[in-house]
Amino acid sequence: MQGSEGQFGLNKEGLLESDLSFVVTAAHELKSPLALVRQLGLSLEAGIISSSDEQAKLLRQIVLTSERALRLTTDLARSSRLEDSLFELEPLNPQQICEEVAHELTPLYKAKGREIRVASRYRPLLAVANRDLLRRVVLNFGDNALHYAGDAPVELRAGSIRGGEAVRIGVRDFGPAVPADMWRRVQSSLGSDKQPLHARPQSSGLGLMVAGQFANAMNGRIGASRHRDGATFYIDMNASTQLILL
Amino acid sequence: MTKLKNVLIVEDDEWVAEQHVRVLETAGYRAEFVANALAAIESVDSHLPDVIVLDLLLTGQNAFALLHELRSHADLASIPVIICTNSADALVDEDLAVYGVRQVLDKTTMQPNDLIAAVKKALLS
Repeated sequence: MQGSEGQFGLNKEGLLESDLSFVVTAAHELKSPLALVRQLGLSLEAGIISSSDEQAKLLRQIVLTSERALRLTTDLARSSRLEDSLFELEPLNPQQICEEVAHELTPLYKAKGREIRVASRYRPLLAVANRDLLRRVVLNFGDNALHYAGDAPVELRAGSIRGGEAVRIGVRDFGPAVPADMWRRVQSSLGSDKQPLHARPQSSGLGLMVAGQFANAMNGRIGASRHRDGATFYIDMNASTQLILL
Repeated sequence: MTKLKNVLIVEDDEWVAEQHVRVLETAGYRAEFVANALAAIESVDSHLPDVIVLDLLLTGQNAFALLHELRSHADLASIPVIICTNSADALVDEDLAVYGVRQVLDKTTMQPNDLIAAVKKALLS
């Protein structure tokens, strides 16, 4: 948790106000998937779905929604231990991370009638990062893009930036243009410690904050750029010099 | 033959929206869903719904943009609105009444039948 006792007051239980705000935000964002799982379960229990195909579809939705909620809880637990842990940074192939994330998210995308794909590249890249944290950041962007994507596929793309000094993984969605006021809130959440409760609907606000913490732990940074037809959320990491030495 | 009542669901999580549609159609209503406030306004313009079930936090403009739009036009102002949200505990019913909101349903505690009952009640009032 960022911030200090000098900046945030303590309540009577001795919790930092910032901690409380974080807990409230986390609780709020977990409500959506849990409420959906409950509603789907109630429908199955009530027997209002007679077709076995439809029942199977609902069971699949329950599984995928639970997995999405579990990703968020795992990220939250991980973020709370960031300051106590040492994360091994190693040279990683970002293209491979993109492939892994696309593979993991494909069942969820398919169930929502969407597509996620990885932009191909010929020349290899190496980024200095922690495999688990980087995967979680890109998963988070992929989850987020699913909600805002239109019919066009979401695309994961790894590329070199700043003359080869850094590597960027971007997750591009082709949804409707993001309204300016929402964009300001997103930009604010990308760069601030305190996350407004309703920075964006659904689960992206808290996810972005956690992704930002993971990026910081790897000496990287996250950002976003807005397009006429959607947005790209990205993480920049230092490039490994090992590739040049080969 | 009785004409089916139309319910417009404004909900940006399509699985939640499909769930509402399933429940309402089982109860004999005609239900359709849209994902955002702009699509809702278009839908309302093309055929007036008898009831609107509205999520509060939507992608793009939020629910209040739609509520303001509805209140701005005499033919739309009387459409009853049911708010269906995860943030029900943060809402004050009296504040919402001026927007034509008849009931607030808490997604985290409601039963499928609660939605049917709320629509039925809104149609009677």
